[in-house]
Amino acid sequence: MPNESRGAAPAMALALSLLMGTCALGAAAPGPSAGESLYRRGQLPSGEPVQALRQGGATVRGADAACVSCHRRSGLGSTEGKITIPPVAGPYLFTPRGKSLERLGVPFVDTARINHEAYTDESLARAIRDGVDAKGRLLNSLMPRYAIDEATMSSLIEYLKDLKTAPAPGATSTVLHFATIITPDADPVKRRGVLAVMNQYFVDKNNAAARTKAPTLYSSHATMFRVERRWQLHVWELTGAPRTWETQLRAHLAAEPVFAVISGLGGSDWGPVERFCEEQGLPCLFPNVEAPVGDDATFYTVYFSRGVLLEAQLIARELAAAGDGGRVVQVFRAGDVGEAAARALEAARAGSGQQVVNHALKAHGPPQELARALREAGAADALVLWLRPADLGALEHLKVPTPRVWISGEMGGLERAPLPPDWRTQARMTYPVDLPGQRVVRVDYALSWFRMRKVPLLAEPVQADTYLALGLMSETLNHMADAFVRDYLIERIEMALDHRVLTGYYPRLSLAPGQRFASKGGYIVRFTDPQGSRVTPLGEWITP
Amino acid sequence: MGRRILGRLGAALTCATGVLLAVATAASVSRATVNYQTPAVTLVRADGQRVSLPHELDDGRPVLLNFIFTTCSSTCPLTSRTLEEFQDKLGPEAARVHLMSISIDPEQDTPSRLAEYARKFHAGPGWQYYTGTLAASLAAQRAFDVYRGEKMSHTPVTLMRAPGKPWLRIEGFVTPDELVDDYRNLLTAP
Repeated sequence: MPNESRGAAPAMALALSLLMGTCALGAAAPGPSAGESLYRRGQLPSGEPVQALRQGGATVRGADAACVSCHRRSGLGSTEGKITIPPVAGPYLFTPRGKSLERLGVPFVDTARINHEAYTDESLARAIRDGVDAKGRLLNSLMPRYAIDEATMSSLIEYLKDLKTAPAPGATSTVLHFATIITPDADPVKRRGVLAVMNQYFVDKNNAAARTKAPTLYSSHATMFRVERRWQLHVWELTGAPRTWETQLRAHLAAEPVFAVISGLGGSDWGPVERFCEEQGLPCLFPNVEAPVGDDATFYTVYFSRGVLLEAQLIARELAAAGDGGRVVQVFRAGDVGEAAARALEAARAGSGQQVVNHALKAHGPPQELARALREAGAADALVLWLRPADLGALEHLKVPTPRVWISGEMGGLERAPLPPDWRTQARMTYPVDLPGQRVVRVDYALSWFRMRKVPLLAEPVQADTYLALGLMSETLNHMADAFVRDYLIERIEMALDHRVLTGYYPRLSLAPGQRFASKGGYIVRFTDPQGSRVTPLGEWITP
Repeated sequence: MGRRILGRLGAALTCATGVLLAVATAASVSRATVNYQTPAVTLVRADGQRVSLPHELDDGRPVLLNFIFTTCSSTCPLTSRTLEEFQDKLGPEAARVHLMSISIDPEQDTPSRLAEYARKFHAGPGWQYYTGTLAASLAAQRAFDVYRGEKMSHTPVTLMRAPGKPWLRIEGFVTPDELVDDYRNLLTAP
C-alpha cells in the first residue's frame, strides 16, 4: 500500500520543515488577547472573573460565564437537552440575510439559526451587553448580559471574527488526510496489528465511497463533497529519543498536513506526542497507549482509558479498603509502563502510612531476576506485579510468597495472561475492560470484519480498539457534514460517544468538556480454573 | 393552583414571543403535582458515605431534588447557581430544607469531584451531592422521570416536596425568587 511509503518530495519537504521548525523556535508566542481570555476562560483583562447577569436575576461568573461553556471552543455552537446554542464564529453572525453561507464557503452546522438579521459590530455589542438581537428582539434567557468595557468588547468581536470556519489543513475538497503516530518503543507485533487494521479500513472506506453515488435527493454541496472525499492515511513512525519526537512530528505535519491523528501506538512515553497535539491544536484521537500522560485538562488528546494508571487506582482502592498493616511490594521492568503505574500506586497510597517498596528489574534482563525480587515480599505484604507475559510465565517455579497478589491485566494480557496454576488461585487481576462474556457480541463485530477482510489477528485488544477508533471517526465525520474544523471534531466526538452502542472492549464510553478518558473503570477478577482463560469478577465494575 | 399555573404559563409565553423560535422552549417553566415511588437504591454522598436514597429524601425536612453532572457546561452552572441563590435568599432558614443534587454521570463524578463542585457553588450545610453506581443513578433518574437517554440530552427539572406531601415538579429554568415562592407555598399548602 502507498499509505506506508513516502516518496522523495515529501521527504524533502520534511527535511526543509525540520530546518524551518528549528528556526521558528526563537519567536516568542504572543499571549492571548482580551477577547480570547474572556471567550475561553471568562477572564477580564484585569485578571478578574467576568460577572454576567441572566434574565430573571441569576448571575454567572468566571469560567461559567465564559462564552466557551456554551458556544464551545470552535464557536460553532452545541446542543444540550432541548436547547440549541447557535454558532458565533464571525460568518454566522455577520453574513447578511438571504446570502447563502454555503456559497461563501461557510459550512452548514445544525445549530445555525437561519434567516436572522446580520449583526454589525454595534448591534453585536448591544446583544452581548443587553441581550437583544440585531432587530432588537430579546435573546434566549440563557444568554447572559455582560458588562464589559469598549476595548474588551472590540477584542471579543475581533476574536469571534477570527474563529475559523474554513476547512482545516488536511481537509481538501477531495481528500481527508489523517495521520497515525507510532513511537519507536511500541511493541512490534501490536504495530503490525494496528497498521493492518488501519490500512484495510482506509481501503474499505474508499471502496465504499467509490461505490456510493451522490444522493440525488440532496442538492447540497456539502453532502456531495462529503460523499466524495477519499480518506488518506499517513503513518508517522518516530525514531530516536523521545526528546526529538516533537521536532519530528512538527516536520511530519508541515510536510503532510492532516486533519486529525487517529489511533496509533505508543510505548512507555507518550508525553511528547501529547504535547505536540496540544501545541498544534491537532485532534489526536484514541491512541493505543497503556500509560497516558495527560489529565482531563488537555483538549486535543482523547483516550479510551487511563490504562495502567487506572489499574493503579483500582489496586490502591482495594489496599485502602483492606486497611491492614503489611507493606506493598511492587515489581516492574525499568523503562516499561509498569514504572509509571508503580509511581501512581505509590502516590495514591501516600499519606496512608502503608510502606511501598518498588523493585525495578533491569530493562531487558532475564526472567530469573524475578526470584530475587519476590524474596522482598513477606507473607503479610501485598505484592503487585506490573509485568509482561514473558515474566508472568517465568513465575512457574517460584513460590507464591503472599496470598495477596495483584497483576496488571493490561500488561499481562488480560485473561490470556500465562500465569502458572499455583499463582492463579491467589492472584487478583486488574481488568480495565468489560468481562469476556459481556463484551463478546460487541467485539465479535470487529473480529468478523477482520476475518472477512483477511486482517491478521495479532493483538486482539489493540486491534479492536483501533477498529473502534476508526468507526468513531467515520461516524462523527458523518454528523459534521463539511464543517472540517478541528476543534469541532473534538466537540462532536464528545457529543457522539454517549450514543455509541458498539463500544468494543468497553462496557460504555462517555466524554464531555473536561473529560478525556472515555471508559472510567474496571473489574478485579480472578482466574476461574487452574488452566484456560475463564475469569470470575470479584465484585462489580469499579470507577475509582 | 390552576390559575397560578396559567399565570406562569402566560408570563412564560409573553417572554417566549420575544426570543428566537428555535429556543423558545428554554424560557418556559411549567409546574405539576406528581407522586413518585422512591427506589430503594444506595447512593454515595460527596463525603464518601454510602446512603439510602429513601432515607436521604425522608429526613424529616422539606426536600428539593435535582440532577446534574459536573462537566455539564451550559445548563448545570445555571441550575446550580439558582440553588446557591435560593439558599442565600433563605438565609438562616436554608438549613431547614434539604437540597439534594444527584449526578447523572456517576462514573465521572466521584465524591471528590462532587465535593469540589459543591464548593464552587458555595453549597451550605443543607445541600448535598450524590453519586454511586451507574445503575443506582439510572434508577433514581427513571423514578423521577428525568432520564433522557444520555447525559447531554438532560433537561432542567427541579423537584420539591414537604414531608408527607406529593412532589411539586418544576420543568424549565426557574429563577431563585420563583423557587423561594414555590417553597413558601409548599409549606403553607393544606
